[in-house]
Amino acid sequence: MWARLKIPGGLPFRSLGSKLIFSFLLVVLAGGLASTMIGTRMVGNTIMAEAQKKVRHDLDSAWMVYQEKLRRIQDVLHLTAKRDLIMRAVTGGQVEVLRQELERVRIDYGLDFLTLTDKKGVVLTRTRTPYQGGDFQGNDEMVRRALKKEIVAATEIVPQEELAKEGPELVRQVYMEFVPTPKAKERPETRETSGMMLKAAVPILDINNNILGVLYGGNLLNRNYEIVDKIKDIVFKGERYKGKDTGTATIFQWDLRISTNVKDKSGLRAIGTRIARDVYDQVLENGRAWIDRAFVVSEWYIAAYEPIRNIKGEIVGILYVGTLEEPYTDLRNNVIYSFFGVAFLGLVLVLFLAFFITRSITRPIGKLAQATEKIAGGDFSHEVSIQSKDEVGHLAFSFNRMTRTLKDTMEELYVLNNKLQELNRHYLEMVGFITHELNQPMGVLKGFLILLRDESLGPLVNPNQKKAVATMLRNVNALINMIQKYLQLGRIESGKMEVNKVRIPIFAEALSSILEDEKPQLDARKMQMIVENEEAFRKVEGEADPVLLRIVFSNLIGNAIKYAQEGGKIWCGFKEEPEELLFYVKNEGRGIPADKLTKVFEKFTRLEGELEQRRGGTGLGLFNAKEVVERHGGRIWVESEEGKWANFLFTLPKGGKGESSLNR
Amino acid sequence: MEGRRKVLVIDDEPDLVEMIRMALESQFEVVTAYNGKEGLEKARSAKPDAIVLDIMMPVKDGFTTCQELKGDSETSSIPVLILTGVEEHFGRSKYTKASGMEIEAEDFITKPVDPNELVRRVNALLKKD
Repeated sequence: MWARLKIPGGLPFRSLGSKLIFSFLLVVLAGGLASTMIGTRMVGNTIMAEAQKKVRHDLDSAWMVYQEKLRRIQDVLHLTAKRDLIMRAVTGGQVEVLRQELERVRIDYGLDFLTLTDKKGVVLTRTRTPYQGGDFQGNDEMVRRALKKEIVAATEIVPQEELAKEGPELVRQVYMEFVPTPKAKERPETRETSGMMLKAAVPILDINNNILGVLYGGNLLNRNYEIVDKIKDIVFKGERYKGKDTGTATIFQWDLRISTNVKDKSGLRAIGTRIARDVYDQVLENGRAWIDRAFVVSEWYIAAYEPIRNIKGEIVGILYVGTLEEPYTDLRNNVIYSFFGVAFLGLVLVLFLAFFITRSITRPIGKLAQATEKIAGGDFSHEVSIQSKDEVGHLAFSFNRMTRTLKDTMEELYVLNNKLQELNRHYLEMVGFITHELNQPMGVLKGFLILLRDESLGPLVNPNQKKAVATMLRNVNALINMIQKYLQLGRIESGKMEVNKVRIPIFAEALSSILEDEKPQLDARKMQMIVENEEAFRKVEGEADPVLLRIVFSNLIGNAIKYAQEGGKIWCGFKEEPEELLFYVKNEGRGIPADKLTKVFEKFTRLEGELEQRRGGTGLGLFNAKEVVERHGGRIWVESEEGKWANFLFTLPKGGKGESSLNR
Repeated sequence: MEGRRKVLVIDDEPDLVEMIRMALESQFEVVTAYNGKEGLEKARSAKPDAIVLDIMMPVKDGFTTCQELKGDSETSSIPVLILTGVEEHFGRSKYTKASGMEIEAEDFITKPVDPNELVRRVNALLKKD
């Protein structure tokens, strides 16, 4: 459907359409690819950067939840410590009262333990079985500070022995065997026995601000899901994505998961597993936050880990929040797919467009090419139907105009040519007819004039009579010559001149009659005609049209007689060459100047001079001779020594060359 | 006059015949005919010593006339000199352009005719006897 145009060089395509489409495609593909890659990269990065920012904020929110819990514990303790009852009981040493009251507080506020010490730091009462008391807590940093009237609250690691004092259930609560975790750092331990607590310690003061004792207590974080679930609810609003939690939170005691809402494969909370090595190193060892994508149990999360420190500032654990990566990657992928989709659509659209645009160009061009072919083949009636208003349409319009003009011109030419042929035929017929008819009266005139001149019809009595007769005869001869030459010309130039080649004896058929006809002239001018190489000449045979060949000899010899001086010699001869037969007519006389040697063969060329004017002549003799010789496939030329002689030579090819019949 | 040879001139153009007669009559007795038919009759009746025959004639053209002359035993021995223009004939050639056949004439002379040449040719014909 596209024109098959040959395009040298350039793209290796055979059609304009392919070239265009390919170029379009290339540009679009390149551009589309580049923009898609850049775009998706940018978008991907942006999305992921935003996700990480969000996680950072989520972690901050998680901290607030964590701190709030801690704060709450502190407040409970603080308010309790300020109560009159407590103060008086402590002052009065009413241990039983204290125990009852404090246990109530403990249970009311959901604390895991609540313990009272005296002003020396010795435990006065605990609030859960076995209600152990009497041990010294003054070495505990937080208690120590509270004894100094400081109100403190922080995360604290509590060893098993201490937990045992607060309550044996607590020991059980914290006991955790490590679950083998592939990416975790190697540790010699296989279980955790100590617990991680949110602990507060407040001083109990009398009215005089003297220390009466310390009230401390708090909650275990191990297996306590309150905080992590609260974080999840607040920060992630409990959303789910494709059946998975979008957000998770974990509290690590060192590298051990002790509280989490990350579910393992069986759907249970994944406590007991440990953190990955690279997070361990950065967060626990180097104390730096870690925000990146992490594979948590079975899903990819964008995770943020930050160290949890105790009152002394030592790192004791990690707070983690993670947001499911999948929504973000899905979003990013969707964007990328959309990009690609749009790009692809664009590509398809462009292809369509390109196809149509290309077609709108190549189809008309193809049509034009075809039409041009037709015209080249001679069919001028074909018109191109291209409707578009653009340059191609314009071209088509002009093309059609041109075709119409061509057609008209060709028709005109055809008609004219026919007329011309007809006219030419008529002309030649006329010429032939007229000249032939003219010959008759010319013959009679000549004959009678000769008789008169020779006084065969009686004497001529005075010189005027003689002169008159001589002049008349001369003019009649000139006329006869003219008629002859024009007759020759007509025959030569006619479109249907036939060179009827026959194998003839050259001398007998073409030369001898001429010699006989010219004999009177020769005698009158006392000239000598010498035939050279006569024996061979008389024998030679050649392929020639005798009528036409006679014209050649007639004209050459006639010229020789005309231009030679009186009493001069004329030679006519023949020479056999390997490929051709050579004939010549040479005369003594004025000769021909060197610059005119070719010019003499031109139509209507005569040598200048008074003598020539008087002798008349048509300027056709040599032209006609040349035409005839060349029609036979031969050559004709003249050699001359100016002032001395002129030699006209011509050749006839031996056997079978030249034209045998010609329609000019 | 006795001893004078007789020449028959066959030509359809009266002026030309007249000219030829004037050219010949100083030496010969001249008999004329203006077409081929007449020419044949006169050839048989007058028994000339030579015939001058124009090749281009209406009714019976020179070619046919010549053939008949040569075909007729009465006239076949009379030498014939053909008058010919270049158009219809190959001049001195034995072949006609039209038929490509041979003419059995003794001699040919091209028109326009030089009367002196004509006389010479006729004499040459008669010398062959």
